[in-house]
Amino acid sequence: MASAAPPDTARFGTSGSAGETLFHAACFGAATLLLVTLGGVVVSLAIGGWPAIEHFGFGFLTSSEWNPVTEVYGAAGPVVGTLATALLALVMALPLAIGVAVFLVEFCPRPVAQPVAIAVELLAGIPSIVYGMWGLFVLAPWFAEHVQLPLMMEAEPGSWQEKLFSGIPNGANIFTASVILAIMILPYMAAVFRELFMTVPAQLREAAYGLGCTPFEVIRAVVIPYVRRGMVGVIMLGLGRALGETMAVTFIIGNAHGFPDSVFASGSTIASTIANEFAEATSDMHSAALVALGLVLFLITFGVLAIARALLGSQRH
Amino acid sequence: MTDLPSHLSEEVHLAFPPRDALAIEARKLDFFYGKTQALYGVDLPVERNKITALIGPSGCGKSTLLRALNRIYDLYPKQHAVGRILLDGHDVLADRRSLQRLRDRDGGGDDTAMIRSPVDVAGLRARVGMVFQKPTPFPMSIYDNVAFGVRLYQRKSRAEMDQIVEKSLRRAALWDEVKDKLHSSGLGLSGGQQQRLCVARGIAVEPDVLLLDEPASALDPVSTAKLEETLIELRQDFTIVIVTHNLQQAARISNYTGFMYLGRMMEFQPTEELFANPRGQRTRDYVTGRFG
Repeated sequence: MASAAPPDTARFGTSGSAGETLFHAACFGAATLLLVTLGGVVVSLAIGGWPAIEHFGFGFLTSSEWNPVTEVYGAAGPVVGTLATALLALVMALPLAIGVAVFLVEFCPRPVAQPVAIAVELLAGIPSIVYGMWGLFVLAPWFAEHVQLPLMMEAEPGSWQEKLFSGIPNGANIFTASVILAIMILPYMAAVFRELFMTVPAQLREAAYGLGCTPFEVIRAVVIPYVRRGMVGVIMLGLGRALGETMAVTFIIGNAHGFPDSVFASGSTIASTIANEFAEATSDMHSAALVALGLVLFLITFGVLAIARALLGSQRH
Repeated sequence: MTDLPSHLSEEVHLAFPPRDALAIEARKLDFFYGKTQALYGVDLPVERNKITALIGPSGCGKSTLLRALNRIYDLYPKQHAVGRILLDGHDVLADRRSLQRLRDRDGGGDDTAMIRSPVDVAGLRARVGMVFQKPTPFPMSIYDNVAFGVRLYQRKSRAEMDQIVEKSLRRAALWDEVKDKLHSSGLGLSGGQQQRLCVARGIAVEPDVLLLDEPASALDPVSTAKLEETLIELRQDFTIVIVTHNLQQAARISNYTGFMYLGRMMEFQPTEELFANPRGQRTRDYVTGRFG
């Protein structure tokens, strides 16, 4: 809204002064610098990866053959690994995150809720390499012994279970990587969900309880619909984080290049492939392929975050 | 707070309707926000199919009393009520903790052992509906807003539900304005329409009592007049308790008026009596605009 009266130029007419001009220029410069950097990253990724994109064409995305010895690079394995681990992690983390947030906002006694909420936020700040080490040294061996082996023993030869659960029983696979990712994005999502739920006006809650709702009915029919768009945004941001996570996944995914053919098969993600191979990429085509992989990851993550932004933006009623 | 003791010892003037005509009744009700006492032995008789208005200066406890009647205060762990609230002869405060508090206050007399029935708070709130100061439409369509409460308790066919929704919206004088956009969001209505939507939602479940907490304070004069007409119409089918800051509003629409002051029911009379011939000095000062 514009102010009704024209500004008093004698007192407020500083817009032409040197200080204001400098301030304006500094802000503009900062904003421009960021955009130029972003553009520069995209352009340099495209240029660096161009030899691989030009040589393999669309097959770069569809082929799962990744062989530095024969100089054949197809990214389907890492791309599918990235999407599969991120989506699996989301499926595992989402109900838990909603549960944690609902408990903290609706049921937990207030003196307990605040410290627990802070603890949840602290969990979100643990460095990913710590999660990776824990995954490799604790989760993977336990998982191999107590989950993977029994399931493989149970599965009838030739059945769909056997297909789904086949793999080397060392615990380093798509599934355990997803578990680690889920543990990593869970606190983040729970913390943001909690803040979202707290934006629901107390009166709206009271109105629902006032009609005779039980707590579950209030949450299902009023609280969650009220923040629905925001929740989609949070899910997308969690997905974005899971897509780009590198160190923890590199530790535990097994780093096999082929197309992962079961949830217990070793695999790789785009980020783990780049982290593993960049130092050893001696040939030009190999580094170009890795840079092109980076471009693919950038585009996937950028798309997810753009969708999240759009949804979060339309949350404002 | 300095004159708290003095007003507690002042004489009160209560003219009660006959007991068997009451839909809901508060007896000797104390209310606490943590350690702060907000109501002192309040009696409130609410006659069936009448409008009972609660007036009084800010902070006198009229909204607190209203919020006690359907136990909405239960959502907040530090708030509690001591006393009796009778709905059809059942004490809605008859859970174990409330009874214990009553016994601690009044000793173990006959009265404290009186009625003990399990309290289903959600069921109570379905019978004692509430409309708030600000409109609180749920983030769903107009139709679903009205059907919401009904769906909680009853399984209705599509046609039956259509009927209930139409009837409720007609009774809330909103039907003509929304009949062509029943499936668009309730959030798109104007403030006055939203408030009448909340009334329609409240009456769709056919509650015994409808509580209104300053329902017109966020509305413009035209919407207020419409809401008042609606309430007078609804009196035929429902029992209404309304908290209001607007004395003219209480005088216009209510049958009984209770004047509250610092947590105490100072005077309760048929509305015309209370405004034409207030018995207590404080009531007289308040309704003639000398304070408040």
